[in-house]
Amino acid sequence: MRKAMVLFASLFAATAWAAGSEDDVPGYILHHVVDSPYLEFEVPLSTPIKALDFPKWHVPLKANGCAPRMTEHGEEIPGFTEGCLDLSLSKHAVMMWLAALLLIATLLIWGNRDKTKLVPRGAGANIIEMLVLFVRDELAIKNIGKEEGPRYVPFLLTAFFFILFMNMLGLVPGMATATGNLAVTAALSICTFVITQVAGIRAVGLGGYLKHLTGGVAPWLWPIMVPVEFLGLFTKPFALTMRLFANMLAGHIVLFFLLGLIFILGHPAVAAVSVPFAFAIYLLELFVAFVQAYVFTMLSALFIGMGVAMAHHHDDHGHAEAGPSHDHGKAHHV
Amino acid sequence: MFLPSVLAASNLVKVQPGLIFWTLVTFILVAIFLKMKAWGPILSLVEEREKQISSSIESAKRERAEAEKLLADQKTAIAEARREAAEMMRRNTQEMEKFREELMAKSRKEAEELKLSARREIDEQKAKAIAEVRSMAVDLAMEVAGKLISERMDDSKQRALAEQFVQGLPLTGTSASGSVRRTA
Repeated sequence: MRKAMVLFASLFAATAWAAGSEDDVPGYILHHVVDSPYLEFEVPLSTPIKALDFPKWHVPLKANGCAPRMTEHGEEIPGFTEGCLDLSLSKHAVMMWLAALLLIATLLIWGNRDKTKLVPRGAGANIIEMLVLFVRDELAIKNIGKEEGPRYVPFLLTAFFFILFMNMLGLVPGMATATGNLAVTAALSICTFVITQVAGIRAVGLGGYLKHLTGGVAPWLWPIMVPVEFLGLFTKPFALTMRLFANMLAGHIVLFFLLGLIFILGHPAVAAVSVPFAFAIYLLELFVAFVQAYVFTMLSALFIGMGVAMAHHHDDHGHAEAGPSHDHGKAHHV
Repeated sequence: MFLPSVLAASNLVKVQPGLIFWTLVTFILVAIFLKMKAWGPILSLVEEREKQISSSIESAKRERAEAEKLLADQKTAIAEARREAAEMMRRNTQEMEKFREELMAKSRKEAEELKLSARREIDEQKAKAIAEVRSMAVDLAMEVAGKLISERMDDSKQRALAEQFVQGLPLTGTSASGSVRRTA
């Protein structure tokens, strides 16, 4: 909640100062947290910021090809209405790939250890195994159960580590946070959504799954219950999407904004206050990087567990719904 | 309201379908790759370790129970052996005692016998010696008597007399010789 308020406050400040400020701090902040079709980097000891433009990849969806709409600024907007699927790379896509490569490299170096020794050696292998065991025991098996839990462990592990690496990469200077982008978090939630539905259908079959949508109430209540349940299917991944996105974005905006205060107030002395604050927020963001990866994975496991648990309590529907409300409260503290 | 205008003006909440696509592709590829190369091996290793730990604990428990049983067996065996040893010792002492007593009795008996036979021998020898002394005393007396009366007497008559005289002597050697001397 606090984070959301800070986000709104910074957005307010952004609009308030965008007009008058010479240094356009809010514009700078927004520019740095949103996605862009180019990658910016600074070469030390040279003032101009270099930009690497990504090629435009427009996939035509219609037979007569793709003709991007042009805006008044001369930008191409390849929308679905124009029959285009814009697969152009962007800053966040590249950051996501970088995170994926780092993740794979890390796991190949430390995860791929001597098969004859059952005990990990060294800090890296131990940390990885600790996290793997945490995800397996505390998230998968606790939320999904002993029988079905291990089946979803690879998905949960990938989600956890992938999000963690994207979050952490965003904290490296010069990099960007891919998880601070709605499209990325939405795609991750789509994976959770699909797996959750598959888990439910696997557990009770398609008939039981559809029957579950009626909520187990009397047929005359179905016109109310079915839309509610149907919406409920999508609110969970939507909450996942927004939570991860807002948390990552807000942290970075706060971080930038604290430093931007120096330029907004226009006096170097402000740095004495804002830099320690920014440092504290940075440490908090390191923590949040783990927490958000944990929360996303934990809620995914919880949703999968609810799908799996359909087999156990058809009639006891209220129990299955008790889980997320409990954890929404938990997530808000974070 | 300023908020919707900010959101509309910025790209903050813009959802690019392309990025969704790339995220899905990346996530699925990463998940498949890591499942093969990282999660599978790590999880199987962990499971193997858990299995080994639980089996180790199980076997340790079993071995402990076995050892305890062995220890108890050993203890009873030792107690048994100790008891047997004590029993044997007791029996040995008893036997020794009996043997010693037997030996003592036997040796006592032998000594007794030896003493008896020695006494008999002594008695025999004494009787013989006494007889010898007697006969020598008779001869001596006769010789002495002959010399005293300086005449030869009828041998048999004299002899009978001497013998009669000797018969009157006390049985012990010293008193005999004394009486011989007295008679002489």
